[in-house]
Amino acid sequence: MKKVIPPVVGLILVLCFPLITTDPFILSLVIEAGVWAIAVMGFVAILRTGEFSLGQAAFMAIGGYASALVTINLGIPFWFGLVVAGIAAALVALALGVVVLRLGGIYFAIVTLVFGEIVRIVASNWQSLTRGATGLTPSAPSTIHIGNITIDFIASKVPFYYVMVVLVLIAAVVFWRADRSRLGRIFRSIASNELLAEHMGIHLMKYKVIIFAIAGFFTGIAGAFFCHFTLFMGPTTFDVWDSIMILIMGIVGGTSSVVLGPIIGALVLSAGGGYLTSALMVGMKPLIYGIIVIVVVVLLPGGLVDLGRYISRAPRISSMPAVRRHKKRGD
Amino acid sequence: MAMPILELRKLTKRFGNLIALREFDLDINQGELIGVIGPNGSGKTTLFNLISGYYRRFEGEIIYRGKRISGLRSDQIARKGIARVFQSYVLYEDATVLENITRCFYLICKTNSWQSFFNTSRYCKEEVTQRAEAEELLQPVGLAEFRDSLAGKLPYGYCRLLALAMALATNPTLLLLDEPMAGISHEEKGLVINLIKKLGDQGITIMLVEHDVKAVVDICPRLVVLDFGRKIADGSPEEVTTDRKVIEAYLGVEEG
Repeated sequence: MKKVIPPVVGLILVLCFPLITTDPFILSLVIEAGVWAIAVMGFVAILRTGEFSLGQAAFMAIGGYASALVTINLGIPFWFGLVVAGIAAALVALALGVVVLRLGGIYFAIVTLVFGEIVRIVASNWQSLTRGATGLTPSAPSTIHIGNITIDFIASKVPFYYVMVVLVLIAAVVFWRADRSRLGRIFRSIASNELLAEHMGIHLMKYKVIIFAIAGFFTGIAGAFFCHFTLFMGPTTFDVWDSIMILIMGIVGGTSSVVLGPIIGALVLSAGGGYLTSALMVGMKPLIYGIIVIVVVVLLPGGLVDLGRYISRAPRISSMPAVRRHKKRGD
Repeated sequence: MAMPILELRKLTKRFGNLIALREFDLDINQGELIGVIGPNGSGKTTLFNLISGYYRRFEGEIIYRGKRISGLRSDQIARKGIARVFQSYVLYEDATVLENITRCFYLICKTNSWQSFFNTSRYCKEEVTQRAEAEELLQPVGLAEFRDSLAGKLPYGYCRLLALAMALATNPTLLLLDEPMAGISHEEKGLVINLIKKLGDQGITIMLVEHDVKAVVDICPRLVVLDFGRKIADGSPEEVTTDRKVIEAYLGVEEG
C-alpha cells in the first residue's frame, strides 16, 4: 500500500493543477515541460543501454512534420496525426538504428548528432513538401462536444494540459514497465558489459534497436503534440540545440530512474528555467541553464532525483569492503 | 562410436602475419572432460574465441552437434548451449552477485517479453523461482553470503567463482573454461576442481584451458597440447606428459 500512495497523490496534484492556476503563461511552460519530459524519457531509456543519442530532437522534428503534413494535406484529425507521427519517427529510428547502432559508443553519438542536422537541412530545402523556412502551420485539435460539455482547444490551454498529462502517463507507464521487466534487465546487462551479455545469448543489436525505436515512437508523438500546440512547424523548431537540451535535462534530472528523473529534469529546466528567464532575467537563459547544470553535476552527480537519498543520507549497503584487484582487460 | 558433440576442422586464425592457430583439428565427444594446455601465446584463448564466436572471420569449420556454427554470432552460439567463462575479469560489475546470476537466466526463461512487460502472474512466479535457483547456484561456489554485494567489489578469486556459477546458470551442454584457476587461492582452487569434476559427472562436456598443468592432469582424462598454434599432442595425461615434443615445448621449461 505504502508504495502506491506517492504516485496517486502526485497524480491527483497533477490533475488538479489547472484549478490552482489557468494562467496561460504558466500552463504553457508546464505543457512544454511535459513534451520535453517524454523526449527525455526516450533519451534516458537509450542511455541505459549504454548508448548516447544526440539526435533525439530530430525524431521530434520527424514526428512534427509527419503530423503537420497528414493533418494539413489529408485532413486527418489531430489524434490520428499523433499516431502517424509516432509510427513515422519509430520507422526512421528503426532504419537508422539498424545501420548505426553497429557503431556504438562515441561513433553512435556523432552519427545521431549529424542525423539531427541532416533532418534540419532536408526540412529547409525540401520546399515542395515542408515549405522550407516558412514552415507549416498545423492547426489545434478541433473542438469536441460530449453532451453538454464543450472542449475548446483554442480558447484555453487547459485541454492541452490534460492531453499532455495523458501522453506523459502513457509514455511513463511504457518506459517504466519496460525498465522493470526482463527487457530492463537485458538493457542493464548490455550497458554493464556487452561482451558478457552477448556471450550469455543476448542479441545486442536487436535490443538496442528495440529501445531506439520505442524512444523514437514517443519522441515523435511529443514533437507532433508540440507543433499542434504552438501551431507552427519549421526546420528550426527542433534543432541540435534541442537535442543538447534533452541531454542536459536527462543529466540534471538523473538517469538512475527512467521516468522520475526525466520528468524532474524537464520541469526544472524547461518550466523552471523558462519561468526564471522570462519573468526575471530576460536573455539570461544560457547562463541560468549553465549554472543549474554545473551546480547539479558537482553537488548531485546522480541528478536531482537523488536529492531525497542525499538528504536522508542513507548509508550505502555493502557487506564487503572494496578490495583492490587486478583488472585485466582484453583476452 | 557416438557422433562427436564438437568437431573442429582445420581451424586457422591469422592476425596479420601472426598465425595464432594453425590447421587445428579436434573431435570432442559428449560428456568428455578435455584439458587444453600450452605455453603462453600458444593459441589456447584464440581457440575459445573462435568456438564462442568472439572472432567470426577465420578459416576452417566448427561443427556442433552435426551443425556448422562457425560464422555465427556469440549470442547465437550461446543459444545452442555453449557457455564460456572468460579468462579475464568479465562480470556485470555494477550489479549484485545475485543479479549477476539472474541476468544469465535470459536463455532459459519460459515466459516471453510481453508476459514480462505486463507483469503476468506466470512471469512473477518465474521471477521467484529464478531467484531461488540463483541462490542455489551460489551455494556450491560458496558465495551465498555475498549475494547482495556488488560484483565489482568482490576479491578476484570470488569473481572467478561467480563467473563459473554464471556460466552454469545458462544450463550449458558444452562449457568452455578459460583458466578458471588463474590467480586464485589454494582453497578456492580445491573448490573449483571439485565443481568441475561434479559437472563432468553430470554429463556436461567441458573444455578446460589451464596453465596449472598439475591441476589439469588431475582432472582431465584427455589432454590436448598446443604450441605456436599447432596441436602437438592429444591423449591421456600419461601419454602427453611423456611425449618428447611436449616436454621440449612446455613442461621441461615450466616444471623445471
